[in-house]
Amino acid sequence: MISRRVQYEVAGRVTGPILMALQNYQQQRRRRRRSPKDNPFGPPIQCARKMKDLMSIYYYQGRWADGAVPVAWITSGFPVELLRAFGFYSVYPENHGALCAARHMMPELAAVAEDAGYSRDLCAYARTDLGSVLSGNTPLGRIPKPDLVAACSNICQTVLYWFRSIADHLGVPFFVLDTPFVYGDFKQHHLDYVSDQLLELSDVASRISGRIVTEEELLEVNLRAMEGSRLWGECLDISRTCPSPWSSFDHFYHMAPIVTLRGTEACNAYYRELKDELDDRVAKGIGGIKDERHRLLWDNIAIWPKMRDLSRLFATHGFCFVTATYTNAWRESLPFWDPKDWLRSSAKMLSNTILNRDLKNRLRVMTGLIEDFECDGVVLHSDRSCKPYSVGQYDLKGALTRELGVKVAVIEADHADPREYADEQVETRLLAFMESFE
Amino acid sequence: MRELPGKGDDVRREYISQQQRQHGRKVLAVLPIHYPKELLTAMNLLAVELWGPPGKPRGPDAGRIQTYVCAVVRNALAFLASGGADVVDGVLFPHTCDSIQGLATQAPDFGGWGKQVFRFLHPKGDDRPSSRTFIRRELEVLAVELERLTHAPLEPEALGRAIDLHREIHALRARLVDRRRCLPVDDLALYTALRRGEFLWPSDHLGELREAAAVLDDTTAQQGTPVMITGLVPEPMTIFSALDEAGAFVVADDYAAVGRRIVRDYPKSAADPLDTLVDLQFAGPPCSTRTIAQQRRIDVLEQTFDRSGAAGLIIHMIKFCEPELFDVPLIRRRFEAKGVPVLYLESELERELAGQTVTRVEAFVEMLRPVQIQIGSVT
Repeated sequence: MISRRVQYEVAGRVTGPILMALQNYQQQRRRRRRSPKDNPFGPPIQCARKMKDLMSIYYYQGRWADGAVPVAWITSGFPVELLRAFGFYSVYPENHGALCAARHMMPELAAVAEDAGYSRDLCAYARTDLGSVLSGNTPLGRIPKPDLVAACSNICQTVLYWFRSIADHLGVPFFVLDTPFVYGDFKQHHLDYVSDQLLELSDVASRISGRIVTEEELLEVNLRAMEGSRLWGECLDISRTCPSPWSSFDHFYHMAPIVTLRGTEACNAYYRELKDELDDRVAKGIGGIKDERHRLLWDNIAIWPKMRDLSRLFATHGFCFVTATYTNAWRESLPFWDPKDWLRSSAKMLSNTILNRDLKNRLRVMTGLIEDFECDGVVLHSDRSCKPYSVGQYDLKGALTRELGVKVAVIEADHADPREYADEQVETRLLAFMESFE
Repeated sequence: MRELPGKGDDVRREYISQQQRQHGRKVLAVLPIHYPKELLTAMNLLAVELWGPPGKPRGPDAGRIQTYVCAVVRNALAFLASGGADVVDGVLFPHTCDSIQGLATQAPDFGGWGKQVFRFLHPKGDDRPSSRTFIRRELEVLAVELERLTHAPLEPEALGRAIDLHREIHALRARLVDRRRCLPVDDLALYTALRRGEFLWPSDHLGELREAAAVLDDTTAQQGTPVMITGLVPEPMTIFSALDEAGAFVVADDYAAVGRRIVRDYPKSAADPLDTLVDLQFAGPPCSTRTIAQQRRIDVLEQTFDRSGAAGLIIHMIKFCEPELFDVPLIRRRFEAKGVPVLYLESELERELAGQTVTRVEAFVEMLRPVQIQIGSVT
């Protein structure tokens, strides 16, 4: 246990940073030899390398986490702050799915899950991750085995079934944090239920970690997490300027720390630095794309395997995504935070995610984003893998067109499975959409 | 073979108007799967379940939902929006899955349903103190909301009586399903009778179940190859004709719409009937949509299979049903490890079973015969 803990700390503080420095040095030398390519984007965001280092070291350190610290596999909407106070290392199977998709490993991993009987109609993140669990294959080298698998229903119910399958396969305890879906206004007994479960979760975390955490310690982590969300929100809000110094494709990339490292000082330090750089880009008039002529809102999860192709297609035609309902989700609950009552305010924040509220709320959020960011168009990604995000999109399209007069396109794709993506079909649809602005 | 009472395809509408006329009952269309039927009965509300309906969507509104969403939800939106449920007074949406959750905001908020809407959110996960406190409050709030329709509060005595009535219904349904071998009717007749509980007033359903149970005969035994079946809903119902023609019958049932809603260990009446309803939420067989531990569900499936003497297992899925699909690999693994033949069928809520599927059913039953002889379950 002690030697494992030493390995874990050394990996995070010494070996990881040295390896990253070495890798960066090699990459810089290679980059210097390359001739600059003509592209429709603004200069790259310098912080991106720091984010890569931050995340790589985190994942690298995770290889030694099991046996050193308690490990939890959790959903992106789960209150990681609470587990962090108990010293848990957290793994995000959804992020892992996205990472595998972005690295084009998804079909290979999904095939393992499909061979094991998981239907191709199931969420592609789930299939990718289950394929990784079953095969042990992962771009991260090694993922630490969990002491706890925990899912929160505030993003979807799919994660409940998926994480339940993981817990069953690995033979570890499974905790469901159930956030009742909000139709209209919040109901007090729903919020009480979430608060009660947070207390039950504290007991579970205490039992597994063997630690007792005071309310002050919990509050401290929560305060750091809220500061992270605030900084993330400020970074996103910088896209209100024209030209936007970064696009939603950048937002998707840079959201990793707010999802994975929320509640840590490293996360907050990163977003402070990013914000400084974005402010500087605004002062110098540098845009995320070179020629921003139209500003768009993206709805739904990113299409990870096609990020590069899509960002280039839009940028080439002068279209910049300046906001997205997806990236906004990690700051939208901040107004409900009350440091004087972390338990109840946490319950409200957890219940308030865009996917845990009705379509009227979704329309309200989208309308607010369109107005605040001065968008003149919307792209709705009808995501085969994500039913809660996709059901109702055709009605939202009608309402946005009717009520705001913006142009709206729906593209049929999948957030991770490239086999559900037809390049020609999507490109034809998007070119027609962009032509309609002329 | 004796006929069970009251068959017929399109009796719902007529029955509903009769209930409204003769008993002054308000009627709720109810989406799948788990909801507090005892509470509705106590408040004199007739529940009419809406599983689609099957067949092609009854109107263009199905097109408002992507084709990668299950047909139960797409058909339900088309049905509601086309006026198919105009005869009812409101709709109750239980919190079953992401798609029904979405439909519960899409239909009332963006067109498709203009009358009253109620939602019932049952807790996900295992039985914990928080879920018990929550479900009790949820039941109380639902009762108050339903008063908008009934204009009368929930009376504890009425709830107590409704619980007793449903206890008897559960016991009779369990008897018919568990003693299937002694019931001299075919599967189609049995399932038609059981599924009439999806729209009949409970005492009418109880009457029919009593009639059906009266024909149970310990001296006769069902002929054919016994199979166990699991899935969401027995649609198309012609699956039973296909099994019958192939020489098989269903000896154990785990359909979410049928067997998984039969509470065999029905809770005893508590001093406060609401406490009984709370216990009831956790007393039924494990269901994928309640997100209880996966092993528990598979254990119960296996025990049911072993008790029934079935020779094989049929997994009958509705395409895109996520809660169910996540359990399929584990079910297959467990049963195949036991040497149990497993047939996987997938449908999209069609009215008829595809010819190809019928052939697969025939081949499966044919394959089971030697297994049946081996395990000594020939009747």
